Amino acid sequence: MDLFLHYLGLPYLLDGIRFTITVTLLGLAGGLVLGLVLAAMQLSRIGPLAAIARGYTVIFRGTPLILQLVFAYDALPHIGIKLSAIGAAGLALAANEAPFIAEIFRSGVLGVDRGQTLAGQALGMTPSVLMRRIIAPQALRSMIPALGNETVSALKNSSLASVISVGELTLRSTQLASSTFDFFSIFFASGLLYLCLTGAIAAIQLMIERALDLDRASTRGGFWRRRRSPPVPTKPAGPTDLPPVFVPAPVTLGDRARRYDALSRNSTAVQINGVHKHYAEQPVLNGFDLDIRSGEVVALLGPSGSGKSTLLRCINHLEQWEEGEIRVGGRRLGFRDDGRRMNPRELAKERASLGVAMVFQQFNLFGHLTARENIALPLVWVHGATLADAERRADALLERVGLAHRADALPRHLSGGQQQRVAIARALAPNPRVLLLDEPTSALDPELVGEVLEVIRRLALDDGLTMIISTHQLRFADEVADRVVFLSGGTVVEDGPAHQVLTRPHHPLTARFLNVMGAGSALETVH
Amino acid sequence: MQRNLVGRLSRAGVGALCAVLFAFAGQAHAAAPAECSALQAKYPQFKGKTLTNAINPHTPGYEALDPNDPSKYIGFDIDLGELIAQCLGFTMAYKPVTFAALLTTLQSGQADIVISDIYATEERAKAADFITYSKVFDGVLVAKGNPKKITGINTSMCGTTAAENTGYVEVPLIQALAPQCKSAGKPEATVQLYDNNANCIQAILAGRADTYINDVNTVDQAVKAYPDKLEKATAVTLPYFVGIGVPKDKPDFRDAVMAALVAIQKSGAQSELLKKWGLGVENLATPQLVVAR
Repeated sequence: MDLFLHYLGLPYLLDGIRFTITVTLLGLAGGLVLGLVLAAMQLSRIGPLAAIARGYTVIFRGTPLILQLVFAYDALPHIGIKLSAIGAAGLALAANEAPFIAEIFRSGVLGVDRGQTLAGQALGMTPSVLMRRIIAPQALRSMIPALGNETVSALKNSSLASVISVGELTLRSTQLASSTFDFFSIFFASGLLYLCLTGAIAAIQLMIERALDLDRASTRGGFWRRRRSPPVPTKPAGPTDLPPVFVPAPVTLGDRARRYDALSRNSTAVQINGVHKHYAEQPVLNGFDLDIRSGEVVALLGPSGSGKSTLLRCINHLEQWEEGEIRVGGRRLGFRDDGRRMNPRELAKERASLGVAMVFQQFNLFGHLTARENIALPLVWVHGATLADAERRADALLERVGLAHRADALPRHLSGGQQQRVAIARALAPNPRVLLLDEPTSALDPELVGEVLEVIRRLALDDGLTMIISTHQLRFADEVADRVVFLSGGTVVEDGPAHQVLTRPHHPLTARFLNVMGAGSALETVH
Repeated sequence: MQRNLVGRLSRAGVGALCAVLFAFAGQAHAAAPAECSALQAKYPQFKGKTLTNAINPHTPGYEALDPNDPSKYIGFDIDLGELIAQCLGFTMAYKPVTFAALLTTLQSGQADIVISDIYATEERAKAADFITYSKVFDGVLVAKGNPKKITGINTSMCGTTAAENTGYVEVPLIQALAPQCKSAGKPEATVQLYDNNANCIQAILAGRADTYINDVNTVDQAVKAYPDKLEKATAVTLPYFVGIGVPKDKPDFRDAVMAALVAIQKSGAQSELLKKWGLGVENLATPQLVVAR
C-alpha cells in the first residue's frame, strides 16, 4: 500500500499526466476541426467532396491507431515531414478521431427537425445564419454526451502514444515498472490517475449539459441566450389564454360582392404563370396559372396531393420549379437583375426582402428559443433590427395573439394552438405583404383549432393582409376567404367567389370534393 | 510480494548501493581518453550538437530508469554512450521506444544512434550499420525449481512456452527448434511476444510462460528482484555481439563513433564500466563493423 501511495505521488508519473493531456487535447482539437470539415463535406451533397470524405473515413476509421501513430512518427520523415513525438501523436490521434467526431456532428445536424430549417429559410435566413443560429445550437446540445464519450476515448487512446516515445503516463509507468520491478503498485497508481482524468471529463460533460439545459431556469442568459428575460407574472390558465373572441361585423352577400369587385381592381400581388414542377417522375404542378390581388384572401382547396403545399412553397421559393415563372409584387423570383439564377444566399436575401411570410402545418418553431425569441431574433439576424426594437415588436405581436403571458415559454411547453399562434406572430413580425398559410390547423387537436382560426380571421378582416391559405376548414374558408381556388392534379379546376364556389360548384370534381367534406351541413348559413 | 531490493531502495531514498553507483558514474564521466581531442578536431561536425539515442529502457543494468530519480536513465549502455558523446563533444538525448521500434526510429531520422543492448545480426544490419562492443551471453530465466527442466535453446524446450520481446534474436532460434521437436515426437515450443522485459518476466510470474531467454545480466536482475519465484537455469552462448547502431547513410558518424569506442576501450574505461555494472570484464569485445553485404 505504501508503495502504491509512493508511486501515486511520484512527480515523475504526475508529470506524465501533462503529456497525456497535451496529446489528448491536440488530438481532440485537431479531430474537431478535421471532423467539422469531413462532416461539412459529407453534408454538402457535392458528390466528389462527399466521396473524398467517405474515403478518408474508411481509411482512418478502418486502421488501428497504433499503426497510424507509427506511420506519423516513422514514415512521414521519409517524405520530409519530421514532427516531434508529441506532434506526431497529436496528428495521428486527430486523424483517427476526426471520422468519429464527423459522424457525431453529422448525426447532430441531421437530428435537428427539418421543419425548423424550412421555417428559417422562409424567414429569409441565409445558410450560414441558419447553421449558426438554429441548427448548431440545437445540434450541439444533442452532441455533448457523444463528444464526452469521444473525449474519454481519446484520453485513453493517448496511451498508445507510448509506442512512439511520448513520455506520457503509460510510457512512464511501463519504464518505471521495468526498472523497479514494482509492476502492480505502479500500474494501480497509474490506473487511478487515469480514472481521475476520465472522472474529470465526465464532470465537465455533466456541467456543460446542465449549462445548456433549456429547461433549467438558471440557463436563461447562458449559452446561446441573448439576455435574462424579466420574470412574467403567471396568469391563471384557462379562458384568458385565448385571444378575445372576434364578433364578425354583419356581412351580407351584397357586401361580399362589392368587396370582391373592389379587390379585383387592386394591383396583382402574386402572379403565377405556367409553372411546372415534378417530384421525380410525378408531376405536382402542371402548367399552373393564378393571379392574386393585393388584400385578397384566397383559400386553396383540393384533395391531398393536389399541389396546394407545393404551390405555397414555390411562392416563397422554398421549392424550385422547372418551367414557368412566379412574380411577387412584379418581381420575378429566383433571378438576379442580370438574368442569372440566384445562389442559395441570394435566394435567402430575396425571401427576406420580398415580404412573403409563411405559416406551417407543423408550426416549426425554433425549439431552443422562447416564444419571444422565436419572433424577435429572426428580425435581428435577418433584418438587422436592434434587439430592443425586435423584442418590443415581439411583445406587441404576442399580445395580439393573446400569448403575452407565455413570452418566456419554450415551444415544447406550449400547446399546439399556442405554438401555431406564436408561429403566426413570427411570420407577421417583418410586416409581410403576403402571408402563406399551409394547412395551419391540420396538426391541431379539434378543440385548439378555433383559437388559431380566430387569429387568422382577424388578420384578414382587420389588417387587409393578402393571404393564401390551404385548408380543409370549409366553414372558415366561407367566412374569411374572398375567393376559393380548387386544385386537382396540379392545375386550377375551379376559381371564384368563395361562397359561390362552396355552395354552387360548377365543376364535378369540386362538387364531389365538397360533398365528401360535408359542405352541405357546414355551409347552411348564408350571410 | 514486491518487497524486493529496489522497492526498499525507493523507500529509503538513498541506498548505499546507489551512492556507490553515482560515485562510479562520476568517475566514468571524468575519464575521457586523450585521443578524444584529436577525434573532435577530425570530426568537428558533431561537436556541440545534441544527438538522440533511441533506447528500450526496460533492461536494468543496461538501460532503465533510475528508480531514485525516474527523470534519468542509467545503466552500462547509458554510461558507454555518454563516454562516446563526451569523447566526440556532443550531448546525448534519449528517446524511449519499444525494442522492435529501435531501428525504425533510427531509419526515420527520429534518432541518430541506438545503444540499447541490441545484438548486431546480419538481418538487422540491413537497417543500420553496427559497431560491436560486447559479447553475448544469454541466461535462461525459469520459475523457481525449473519445473519444465529447461536446459537451454534445445529440445528441452519442446512443448514449453517462452516469453520473448518482439524483434529479439532468440525468437527465430526458438522457432528453429520445431523440426528437432517433431523428429523427437514432441510438440514444438511456443513463443509469446511482448514488448518489454517487465512483461516477459510477468508472464513467467503469472504462469503464462515457462521461460524467458535473454541477456544473462537481465536474467540475473530478474532473479535478484524475485529470488523466491525465479531462477536462472543455465547460460547459453549465442554467436553474436552487442552493437551500436548508426544510420547507414552517415559513414563519417559511424567512423567517428568507432574511433571513439576504440579509444575508450584502450583507456580501460569500458572495462571499468563493466565492473561498475557487475557485468564481468569477459564481456568486452573489440569493436568490429557489422554492415550489410
